[in-house]
Amino acid sequence: MSITLDIKYAARLLHKKPAFTALTIFIVAIGLGLTLYTYSLLSSLVFKPLLLNKDSAVISIEAEFDPSHLSRRGVDAYDFLTIRNELDSIDEFGIYENDTALIGKPQNNAATRKYNAVQIEWNVFEFSGVKPIMGRALIAEDHFEGAEPVIVLGYDVWQQYFLADKDIVNTSILVDAVATRVVGVMPQGFAFPMTAQIWIPIAQKYLTPTDRSRSWLFSYARLKTDVSFDVFSQELALLNKTVVKSLPDNMRWRLDDFEGYLRAVPYKKASITQFYSIFITMGVVVVLILLLACINVGNLLLARVNERFKEVAIRIALGVPRHRLILQMLLESIFICSVGGFLAVLFAGWGLELSNTVFDQMFMVNQEKPFWWQVSLDTDAIILLVLSVVAMIVITGFIPAWRALSCDFNGVLRDGTRGSQGKKAARASQILVISEIFLSCVVLVIATILLSTSYSAGQADYGVDTKNRITATLELPESSYPIRSDTEFELADTLKRTAFYYDLQDVLEQMPNIEAVAFMSSLPGTGEGASFFEIEGRAAAVYNENPFSNNEVASRGAWNALGMTVIQGRDFSLDDISEEIDTIIINESIANDFFPDGDAIGQRVRRAMRNVDREGGWQTIVGVVSDTFHGSAMRTSSEQYSSYFMLDNVGFSWINMAIHYSGSQVLAEKSLQQAINQVNNNATVYHIQSYDELISQPMILVSAISKVFLLCGVIAVFLAASGIYAVAANSVSQRTQEIGVRRALGASDSKIMQLFMRKALWQLVIGLSIGITLSLWVVNQMTDTMVINQGSYLIGLLGIPLLIVIMVIVATYVPTRKVVLMEPSDALHHD
Amino acid sequence: MNNNNTENSTQALVSLKDITKVFFTDDVETHAINNINLSINKGEYLSISGPSGCGKSTLLSLLGLLDTSSSGSYTLAGHNVSDLNRDERSAIRNKEIGFIFQAFNLISDLTVAENIELPLTYRSDFDATQRAAMVNAALDKVDMLHRAHHFPSQLSGGQQQRVAVARAISAKPAIILADEPTGNLDSKNAQIVMALLDQLHQEGATICMVTHDPRSAARAERMIEVFDGKIVADQLTQAPTAIAV
Ligand SMILES: Nc1ncnc2c1ncn2[C@@H]1O[C@H](COP(=O)(O)OP(=O)(O)OP(=O)(O)O)[C@@H](O)[C@H]1O
Ligand SMILES: [Mg+2]
Repeated sequence: MSITLDIKYAARLLHKKPAFTALTIFIVAIGLGLTLYTYSLLSSLVFKPLLLNKDSAVISIEAEFDPSHLSRRGVDAYDFLTIRNELDSIDEFGIYENDTALIGKPQNNAATRKYNAVQIEWNVFEFSGVKPIMGRALIAEDHFEGAEPVIVLGYDVWQQYFLADKDIVNTSILVDAVATRVVGVMPQGFAFPMTAQIWIPIAQKYLTPTDRSRSWLFSYARLKTDVSFDVFSQELALLNKTVVKSLPDNMRWRLDDFEGYLRAVPYKKASITQFYSIFITMGVVVVLILLLACINVGNLLLARVNERFKEVAIRIALGVPRHRLILQMLLESIFICSVGGFLAVLFAGWGLELSNTVFDQMFMVNQEKPFWWQVSLDTDAIILLVLSVVAMIVITGFIPAWRALSCDFNGVLRDGTRGSQGKKAARASQILVISEIFLSCVVLVIATILLSTSYSAGQADYGVDTKNRITATLELPESSYPIRSDTEFELADTLKRTAFYYDLQDVLEQMPNIEAVAFMSSLPGTGEGASFFEIEGRAAAVYNENPFSNNEVASRGAWNALGMTVIQGRDFSLDDISEEIDTIIINESIANDFFPDGDAIGQRVRRAMRNVDREGGWQTIVGVVSDTFHGSAMRTSSEQYSSYFMLDNVGFSWINMAIHYSGSQVLAEKSLQQAINQVNNNATVYHIQSYDELISQPMILVSAISKVFLLCGVIAVFLAASGIYAVAANSVSQRTQEIGVRRALGASDSKIMQLFMRKALWQLVIGLSIGITLSLWVVNQMTDTMVINQGSYLIGLLGIPLLIVIMVIVATYVPTRKVVLMEPSDALHHD
Repeated sequence: MNNNNTENSTQALVSLKDITKVFFTDDVETHAINNINLSINKGEYLSISGPSGCGKSTLLSLLGLLDTSSSGSYTLAGHNVSDLNRDERSAIRNKEIGFIFQAFNLISDLTVAENIELPLTYRSDFDATQRAAMVNAALDKVDMLHRAHHFPSQLSGGQQQRVAVARAISAKPAIILADEPTGNLDSKNAQIVMALLDQLHQEGATICMVTHDPRSAARAERMIEVFDGKIVADQLTQAPTAIAV
């Protein structure tokens, strides 16, 4: 009965101030929506362990992350065998090698297509608890030497390439031009270990190796239920030490430090090592925003209590029981938070749907979306929401209730005026403002630094002309183009391969819409291997004190197609194909730094290795080309020195290419396909995209996340601005009468403004100091994977504080001005 | 005896000509002040009385430049102050006018001394030592020196009002305006405050006081009666001598 009265009363109050009600609900919805969204995102992408139909989490055992190329590193099959034999904590274990395979049909001469393949241990299907929808899974016998080549197809390959042929099982298809029998088809969505589209049994020699090799393998494992991840990591660390001891010199390249090279990582985390800190930051930022939202809602409700002081005082005088009063305050926040929570679900759901679309776009070209990158609202998230709503009700309901109960009602009633803001309340509102300032500062600084970094990485000058250029990766079936190494045929085999590339170039360049074609192991703007090099006569005492450069393989005449120029000397030529002299082209930076007298041409260099035996032969510098940046966009400054080797001498079975075209991009892509069909239709081309897309590829996730951050930043500004405005308006209106007195005593407008502005400035100084310190710290945590340029720091650490200063000044000035402009006689009688 | 003082005056400190004040609330027009003419001479002690709602406080606000009139002109110490801007009006309030309110209106976050010093800090002609001397002098006059560092909430109502008086006189204003200065006080404290005003008057201060209480009104040398926004009586009191302290 009395409750319904209270509910009615609360409803009437909310209804009477629709703008206030809408604003508070909106703030709650945003705060909770963002939390819910981020929680779902982070838990499915990073934190929720990958279970794969079983109880215990899947982990990965792999090599330490490569920090300079931001890539994962594989493990020697020999060490995996040791792990398998010696670590009893492991329950299930399997190894695989990532690969791509060209799939073809033997019957008609249909075009082959490239798919993500894994060469994998047969137990993978059992491990993941998924059965094929047709045929059988792999079995142990498939690994045996001399066994018939078999393959398990993914659903998409079956649907798209084999047009859902019902009789596909047991037919023979071409895999890298080798006839292979299809034994099974996996259900839709299955892509374990990560992005696999086809599964091929890994060679037996990797399962039971007898010696170390340069193999580059990954693994999946589950621990026994009674072993914790930490305990296992310690066991692995011990094993690491024995591995280090037994590592022969020619395998020391696997080590970055002398503790060992093996690590265990939760499976999902392994695939995003370089983004991990960004994800953590995102979590932190969102928690900060939720806090901001709570502060704001609490503050808005507090302001309302202040407005209703007299009414509350009268209620207390009439003998309202404490709990009734608290309940009354709570009712409002229960309503606001519940409606807000409901809207939050809609917000979050929409955001997640959008994210799924973004992921699809992100990975459209390279098909490398991990299969668990599919986000949705699950039960955990809903439980979290309910808990957050309850927490918010408590926080936002009790602040005003406490304020209402802790004031001197007697005084309010006796004087008939509103009690002047007590010292405690004044300090509380000061803390509120300071928190809003520093929270919004942290969120905004992080957002802008990230955004500006990803933007400038996209805009960075890589030293190449990307306009009207498409890039692609070209792969030859190794079986049709074998290289018989260390035999008399080696050179001829190599030339047969490169002849394909040059033939393709000729065909393309004869087309009217194609200007020029370049082949390069990694195009500028993308990363590849780097090593130390030694200049003849100037070798450093220790190999790793020599200079370091990127090593790329380039075709003859590649420069023009990329917009690079030969500055000194000449390009590679056919005459360089010889077994006696090896030629090399260096870039301008090397020439300037090591041959400042312009005498680079004719000098000799060679690769310097840790192990003297593996040093390369001497190579003569024949040319100097303009500088470009190799290395991924997250680290544009990774390496400034580049050396180029001639493609003709190396003969990769796959290579990247850039095509300078005129007219439309679509037409250029068609021309490429056409030319390949004309030269040799067994070759496969993939990753066709514009050069700009290629360069922005590594930053796609960062730039997507930085957009989320930007959204957070905008929300933070909105929250902080409205919150600070409310606090200022509240404290000014509390002091209206005092302002009247001061004006009666002859204070000028500016004196009164000063009074309030000075306080705001103090709060700014404190809030910004905390905010900047904190954001510097957070940003520092992110720099392990990203190079943040000075411009970004400048924008973040000067621009944002300036923005916040302006925001706070406006938010204080506007409400203060309103009161100052009142006639003093009105202000004196204000209540 | 109507308006005789005004006619005879050689040096009118305050002179209101055809002053009206109209309030608009929703669709109601209230003529709070209706065409009032009034002049006050330097050194005069004047009381304003009348029924509730007749416009006394409004008149005092206009005199104190706390509000602007709807029409008419106002001359204070020879200057026309009707058309001044906000800051000029502030400066005049600060220098020429001292206020004493019914509700004391001390600022609760400032000590007694700071409250008194406050109006002095709004102008630049005094340095800190001068201000301290003026604060002490004012506090001494109202006999509150021993409470200089207390906060208003630690004082009784009578004490608070004495501090308010000290604040009003600290800068030696041309005129002191008091709106029901004893309205919130018991008779003993009211006596003390009234005695203070008498004393100030003897020392030459010009005082204009709104009051309900006929006994208080009687202490002034000139009584004005307001009814419905108009001055209906303006006369010298029968017993103009104040009680000596
Ligand atoms: N700010 C205002 N807005 C509208 N009307 C007002 C305002 N201030 C005063 N009034 C009206 O003007 C008239 C005069 O008010 P005023 O406060 O001057 O009366 P008063 O003589 O001081 O009364 P009291 O003895 O009760 O204090 C009243 O009718 C009042 O309602
Ligand atoms: Mg009044």
